[in-house]
Amino acid sequence: MAKRIKKTAYVRCRGGSPLLEGIDRAALPNDCEAILGLYPDGISRCRYGCLGGGSCVSACHLAAINIEGSGPPSVDAGKCVGCGLCGRACPQNIIDVINREYIIRPKCSNRDAGKTAREACDNSCISCGICVKVCPAASITIESGSPVIDPETCLGCGMCAVKCPRGVIRDIRGIITSAE
Amino acid sequence: MADGYAVRACVLTTERAAGKSIITVEGLSLREKETFVYAFGTAGSVQCGFCIPGMVMAAKALIDRNPDPSTAEIKKAIRGNVCRCTGYKKIITGIKRAAAILRGEEELRDVVQFTGKMLPEQKEFISVVGSKYDPELASGIENYENKGKSSEFGVGQNVFRIDVRKKVLGYGKYPDDIGPEYFVPSDRPDLMMELAGWTKEEYEEASAKGLTGIGRTVSRKDEPLCNIFTVVDPDMPPMAYCSAVRSQYPRAVVKKIIKEKAESLPGVLGVLTAEDVPHNKVGHIQQDWDVMIAEGDTTRMVGDAICLVVAESPYILEQAKKAVKIEYEQLEPVRSIAEAKAEGAPKVHSAGNLCQQRHVVRGDAAKALKESAYTVTGTFRTPFTEHAFLEPECAVSFPYGDGVKILSTDQGAYDTRHEVSIMLGWEDTPERIIVENQLIGGGFGGKEDVTTQHISALAAIKFGRPVKAKFSRSESLRVHPKRHAMEGTFTLGCDENGILTALDCDIDFDTGAYASLCGPVLERACTHSVGPYNYHNTDIRGHGYYTNNPPAGAFRGFGVCQSQFALESLLNVLAEKAGISPWEIRYRNAIEPGLELPNGQIADVSTALKETLVAVKPYFDDAPPDRVGIACAMKNAGVGVGLPDKGRAVLEVKDGLVWIYTAASDIGQGCQTVFVQDVAQATGLPLTKIWIAPSNTGNAPDSGTTSGSRQTLVTGEAVKEAAKLLKAAMDEEGITEETLGRMNGRSFEYEYFEPTDKLGSDKPHPKSHIAYGYATNVAVLDAEGRVTDIYAAFDAGKVVNPLSMSGQIEGGVLMGMGYALTENWPLEDCVPTARYGTLGLLRATDIPDIHAIHVEKKELLDAAYGAKGIGEITTIPAAPAVAGAYYARDGVLRTSLPMEDTYYSKK
Repeated sequence: MAKRIKKTAYVRCRGGSPLLEGIDRAALPNDCEAILGLYPDGISRCRYGCLGGGSCVSACHLAAINIEGSGPPSVDAGKCVGCGLCGRACPQNIIDVINREYIIRPKCSNRDAGKTAREACDNSCISCGICVKVCPAASITIESGSPVIDPETCLGCGMCAVKCPRGVIRDIRGIITSAE
Repeated sequence: MADGYAVRACVLTTERAAGKSIITVEGLSLREKETFVYAFGTAGSVQCGFCIPGMVMAAKALIDRNPDPSTAEIKKAIRGNVCRCTGYKKIITGIKRAAAILRGEEELRDVVQFTGKMLPEQKEFISVVGSKYDPELASGIENYENKGKSSEFGVGQNVFRIDVRKKVLGYGKYPDDIGPEYFVPSDRPDLMMELAGWTKEEYEEASAKGLTGIGRTVSRKDEPLCNIFTVVDPDMPPMAYCSAVRSQYPRAVVKKIIKEKAESLPGVLGVLTAEDVPHNKVGHIQQDWDVMIAEGDTTRMVGDAICLVVAESPYILEQAKKAVKIEYEQLEPVRSIAEAKAEGAPKVHSAGNLCQQRHVVRGDAAKALKESAYTVTGTFRTPFTEHAFLEPECAVSFPYGDGVKILSTDQGAYDTRHEVSIMLGWEDTPERIIVENQLIGGGFGGKEDVTTQHISALAAIKFGRPVKAKFSRSESLRVHPKRHAMEGTFTLGCDENGILTALDCDIDFDTGAYASLCGPVLERACTHSVGPYNYHNTDIRGHGYYTNNPPAGAFRGFGVCQSQFALESLLNVLAEKAGISPWEIRYRNAIEPGLELPNGQIADVSTALKETLVAVKPYFDDAPPDRVGIACAMKNAGVGVGLPDKGRAVLEVKDGLVWIYTAASDIGQGCQTVFVQDVAQATGLPLTKIWIAPSNTGNAPDSGTTSGSRQTLVTGEAVKEAAKLLKAAMDEEGITEETLGRMNGRSFEYEYFEPTDKLGSDKPHPKSHIAYGYATNVAVLDAEGRVTDIYAAFDAGKVVNPLSMSGQIEGGVLMGMGYALTENWPLEDCVPTARYGTLGLLRATDIPDIHAIHVEKKELLDAAYGAKGIGEITTIPAAPAVAGAYYARDGVLRTSLPMEDTYYSKK
């Protein structure tokens, strides 16, 4: 019998974008849809990242996704079964369900390029394209302002993670880069 | 391996590695080392060996996590590790076997095979350490004396290659493994003792024998075939590094080379230009390749060298290369055959853009085609392809005697010597140049031309010190000659029964900026374009054109991959018209012993094309008819066509051992093991008594280039005959294995030469080549169009080492499948755009099951025990067989490679 491919939820945001002026995190509702209702352009300088409202946490039946502090959430690989409920609950669409064997993963959802992206967050992808250039397998493209790695052709070598000037691409084993 | 995961050394910088547990192949436990040597050796996993330590570490990381991995898990674990030689199948088997041994389910057996050759000290070392660690390991060693008899190592045995240990454990030396420490000044006995592991007494003993004098090379104690240092003059400065600044444009006038800034950098020895080269031309056959493009001259390709920077360290070298400024006047390049042919086209070389042409005519093709029941015409295009050998070019040269010694990775040490002697103007005294092959990390034809050898020799002579020249991967991709791109129109005819009548074709090759081996490659494409079939009306016109693309030259298959793809594809169309199966049309036309080959040569007794067809018939018949393809091939063995293609060998008895000296490069295919087998077979001596020295022009006779599938046959015959002379002398003098020492100092030599006839000879039955190999491949697709199985039957005459032969077949067939489906080497205005990772090389997870079938006839040729060579033919039939399967699937005749609209092109 063929083994079932094990999947896991993966959050494409490392956090780090400063809150916009006048926003009090403590006063925000514990629901991301509601936060967006109040602030349609988001609450931090990066409008694409995690809102920290915890809708994903509420959606998970297995307590496999948790937020400590203001987000983004971390996924407990031991508990997550890759059902995708968290992803569906996320209005920012930054939680993917992926094959666990994909060890090299981009961790940013910012759609802007260059200066705009740089100013939005310390951890943002600025679409510089170095990852595309250094990939020995030509597995990376920049789509909507962030790197997309084709898992079919990615060799998992981690050259992109090593060369990324913004630390966006991570080796989740924690060997080539730290995992988070 | 870092913290238990296999990682690439180039990715994990020392900074990132800090604090992690790092294990390399050197850090494996003794049990693991012996296990991998045994498992990889018995499985035949090792060919050129360059990828092997990486494979071992990937396997170790996998087995640590998963002691009993499945085939799919192994494939996934080594997916990031490219092997260009083996087709992965035997590496996967080797990893499975290693896992089984490490689990305790399989044993290490046949110690002499798994350790190769053991000296008494090594035997003692292993048995002492081994018994502490693993009683089983030691018990095997007890049987050591009983192993290695010629009956287990002779011709026809599954033999463990002699170079497995050093390749698996990574201590074998490729040129790039030679660093500054390789050159030890003669006044530093302390260093010599440290490197060689000598005691003071041992050093003194070696000195007394003259082994530590200037120019002598010292090898490892346990492995006389692995050099560790060379003694040099104490005044000789340490090793330097050189690299060429190469043209940015395919065609541009070099207006000015501004090198002063680079030369003034500390640590830069100098910047050499064309003016510093005694004779500024090299070239394998035609000397049309500028060593460097001089000021005022025009570049011919982006890889052209303009100046050569020599510096004390690789770091300074890179800085200095950046500091060189070159002013160009860009010109419009010649991008393609059509542009090269066009009237008023710029001339790439002063004599014009037509580099080579051949015209092969027999019978009356036009008339026969006119009278044929069915004819079909197709225009085919095939791309340039990159050899993608794992080891990029590298050479280290140093002043030696009254000349220079070159430690090189190439396919013919004497060819390299010849080219360098032309450059240095030493054609009358080529012996001043000594070329010694190190381990060769794959060649496939791509290491026939000089690339790094001549520039390192030039710098070594100029600056009086050792100099290393090493290509980066991108430089390698740009500079060494590729497989020729072809454009060809073929018209093939047959009668109403599918019996072939005639072939008319035009074959145009793009040979790029330089000729390299354009002549012979084009010739083989033309002479083999008719296929291994019995018909006698042919009109074949071949032309090779210069363009400003990087050069094309030799590549496994040697022109035949291109023309055979076209011919075999058209054959399927004719079969359809004649209403017979693709198998049937081939069988009806197949050549048999005694019949005339299309070139007029009489097919010899060993011809076994029909046997290969019969061998694959069950698989062809069992597969669904709309998912199976078939193709045949023939390929010459030996250079042939009237050239003086000689095999030479000298056997010398030294210290009671037989040493084989022959300058024949083992580029990974395993010919050195074959030669040892030939000697074992002829003399009855055990493996432990037979040694083979590396190819070296200083002490071994010229035995020609590793090309044309010739070493097993041509050099093999010379080695066998020399061994017979030795055996006769032994018999006459009553010498046995034990008393061989009494023959110390005696040597036996043999030169093998069987003349052939020139192309266009007026003999009725000219003999173009001394032998031909034959093959039939059957490719089977699944419902989605994935290639699942290739049944590959090959006639290579006597199979000397079945294990090695299967390895050649699996690797060559996968290469052919890549050629059909995925491999490409695209150019944008003459500039190559591919990186190694984007060449489309098939990876372990992409491979079909390749079933190697050896067809061995009773009737054999009377040379080299009947072996005909297998190297090149393996790459030829897979591409048309896969094309045939797709044609059966959707009826679309695909006329270009890599093929469009396949399972693989969708990716």
